[in-house]
Amino acid sequence: MCEANVYLLKEGREELFMEKVDRIIPGEDNTLFMENIFGERRVAKAAIREMELVHHRIIIEEVSQQQINVGTEIWLDLDTDHGHFHEGEEVRLNLLKGYNMKADLDAVWESPQVILVGQSGRRQADLHLHSHIGHINLGKEADGLIQVYARETGEKELIAKLLVEVGHHHHHEMQHIGLPLEIMPCGYAHARMGENYEVQVLQNGQPLVGVELRATYANTRNRDYPHTMTTDQEGKARLFLTARGNYLFSVSNEETISTFTLVKSF
Amino acid sequence: MCKDMSPLEKAIQFHGHICPGLLMGVRAAELALEYLQVDLDQDDDLAAIVETNFCGVDAIQAILGCTFGKGNLYFRDYGKIVYTIFSRKKQQAIRIAQRFEALDDPNTKRYLALRFQEQLTTEEEAELEDLLALSFEWIMSQPLERLFHWRQVDVPELNKAEITPSVQCHKCGEGVLKNKAVLTDDSLLCPECRLSMEG
Repeated sequence: MCEANVYLLKEGREELFMEKVDRIIPGEDNTLFMENIFGERRVAKAAIREMELVHHRIIIEEVSQQQINVGTEIWLDLDTDHGHFHEGEEVRLNLLKGYNMKADLDAVWESPQVILVGQSGRRQADLHLHSHIGHINLGKEADGLIQVYARETGEKELIAKLLVEVGHHHHHEMQHIGLPLEIMPCGYAHARMGENYEVQVLQNGQPLVGVELRATYANTRNRDYPHTMTTDQEGKARLFLTARGNYLFSVSNEETISTFTLVKSF
Repeated sequence: MCKDMSPLEKAIQFHGHICPGLLMGVRAAELALEYLQVDLDQDDDLAAIVETNFCGVDAIQAILGCTFGKGNLYFRDYGKIVYTIFSRKKQQAIRIAQRFEALDDPNTKRYLALRFQEQLTTEEEAELEDLLALSFEWIMSQPLERLFHWRQVDVPELNKAEITPSVQCHKCGEGVLKNKAVLTDDSLLCPECRLSMEG
């Protein structure tokens, strides 16, 4: 007999978590997958603290969210499901903080700033922080394509980028603004599922070669980013779009975490 | 966005979700359009005989416009993933059969195994999502020869759906096409009531 009972250590007390376990597999993101001789399966966000195999006991301990370094990032999103705005409509955006497109409901903000770059030049926009969401109302923008950036300085500089389309059919190249770390779409066009989407990673305006770029999408069941790519000789990477809804690209270095939200209507 | 949907989007919207079966139907529709050289904006005379009622048929309906409601979709319950697509105007038909080993790539096989598992752990749900993405990319990027056999066939001669006036069933009171109603010794019945009387 080689199975053991698994006990979860909570506030100094042991609670029986699962009986007769004969299989434990550590997963990503501090998880343990367990299966017992009856075929039951459970997953716990925990780490093994002690194994007493002579007594058929395994003690696991919960891993709190604070212990997990998930690398907080910020990202921008449209406050509409339509994918773009029509001329004359109020352009509303949201700024969120969290990880892997999962907003942290207890997010603490450190005075983020929002900048717009459009046909009429560059200007700052007002941001109203309400609970864990930053609300941005750009008013009624003219037909065109606007690059919106949010920046927050803290332990690391956090950068978020989003393209806002007002009206239709704005298919053209864009200019970077020389940020410490920036993800640029390679030409603006409507992104569709079942197609490749290409972005370029820039550091102070220069292509970054061989860096890890990650991508995720809304409502992923993965705890961490499901896609990882490496930039090529031109600092570019491509992703085949397979999920509905918006994607988020993220790149980081020691000082900065920079995201780009790819808006899809489907 | 305010735009025409791509064929893939049409199929996913119509079917409600993404799965390997639907994607195979998307590829079959793509093959039919290419082979028959049909522009769907100009031509809407396509018709299809489908030998399955699996997911892929929804792609045939959504992309090629062959639907039960329009009377240009014919179902033959053979349990085979075979589609015969034809243009009456061009008098051309193609029979497309999914290769037996079409979905034998490891990711799609693992996806299908998990998909039919009764219960999934959180880890397996995440794995399923990742596998679907890999299977998606694989199916959409394979050469059509890797997925299907096809050949030109004669344009099938099919009777157009006969539309007759409705009569009222003497038992349930509902309307039924006259040519589908069954006349018994003392009443006129719809097929459903006739079957229930037999059962």
